[in-house]
Amino acid sequence: MPAETHVVDGPLDRQAIFHIVRDQLVDILEIDPSSISEGQSFKDDLNADSLALVELVDALEEELSERTVGFRIEDEDLADLKTVRDAVDFVYAHVMAHGSGR
Amino acid sequence: MRLPVAVDAMGGDFAPDQIVAGALEADRLGIPVVLVGPENLEGAGHLEVIPASEVIAMDEDPAYGVRRKKDSTLVRAAEAVRDGRACAMISAGNTGATMASALLRMGRVRGVNRPAIATPIPVPGGTHTVLLDAGANTEVQAEWLVQFALMGSVYSRHRYGIANPRVGLLSIGEEPGKGDTLRKDAFELLAGARGIDFIGNVEGRDVMSDSVDVVVTDGFTGNVVLKTLEGGMKTLVKALMAAFASKEEYKVHADALLPALFPLYETVDPEYTGGAILLGVDGVCIISHGSSSSRAIVNGIKVASEMVERNMVDEIRQAISQA
Repeated sequence: MPAETHVVDGPLDRQAIFHIVRDQLVDILEIDPSSISEGQSFKDDLNADSLALVELVDALEEELSERTVGFRIEDEDLADLKTVRDAVDFVYAHVMAHGSGR
Repeated sequence: MRLPVAVDAMGGDFAPDQIVAGALEADRLGIPVVLVGPENLEGAGHLEVIPASEVIAMDEDPAYGVRRKKDSTLVRAAEAVRDGRACAMISAGNTGATMASALLRMGRVRGVNRPAIATPIPVPGGTHTVLLDAGANTEVQAEWLVQFALMGSVYSRHRYGIANPRVGLLSIGEEPGKGDTLRKDAFELLAGARGIDFIGNVEGRDVMSDSVDVVVTDGFTGNVVLKTLEGGMKTLVKALMAAFASKEEYKVHADALLPALFPLYETVDPEYTGGAILLGVDGVCIISHGSSSSRAIVNGIKVASEMVERNMVDEIRQAISQA
């Protein structure tokens, strides 16, 4: 359910961000967490289509808005998010630039 | 204590007045409702209003609207269902945004590839045909059509009491193998699927007949069929009325005949169908016509309440998981 916020205690470091992205993908794609790794392509490896990506970015925005100010993923950015790593890097870059709430 | 139906007070051509009037009438009939709209919403009377300061306009891009207007009536209505404050949502506003709100806040039923809009098509003298997808997904995959068949069957069962709904695949000929690649692939899958009473291909002219209960197609085709029928019936009724009024002698006889036609007219009038329903999301979501009057809203709220009482979503969940 998209309503669950995956509260990760501690600083929002890259590892924590990966866990957040991974946990959302588990919910959205209904797959096992162990089958998700950074190098995987959304489309080719995880079978995540455009709708799943919209769900992912919306869920990330909702979850991360509590942890870091002004976090948004615009639709134009979606095209650049090809792998799990791209998504984690995107979020991490924002956190580095704007800081995290904890 | 039953949960209320969340009514988007700001969606539709005649919002908020007609929507609020519909909500008040439903409340009078004993169906708990809650409005979603601005805090200073006029005419709400004793009805609770879930505050929402933004409105996604009819012509706004749906996904963009939902993602950027987080305090919009549609988003708040879907959140109310998600969070257990409401049992269902209904809107006569931006259809795409209603779907996106439901999808992004209520989420999909586990295992559903894509939700579909199911719309009742009147069958004079018979039970309504359920047509889906009537516009949620312009392009579809064959596997999705099987899910549409399953979900449409659940809806047909609960809404119209048909024990074993007959499912037809909309195509351009009755013979198996007719149609494009999608239809050919879907035919094979539907024929082999469990839990579906698949009767084979059906054609456009069968949609309003009593020979099929659930018609499955892609969203583009479904929407064309829906609008064609709506326009066709409207045109026919107008032409009929014009013919009756064309001569004095006809008018006299027409007055005697019209009462016979009113029940038929009600059957085909969208105001009475209770709206379309989004099947495949984890909650009841009714999508009403943009031109909905208070009557259409009341009817939509009735359908929402009924589908909640009949546990339609749980049945869909079961049907999908067992497929």
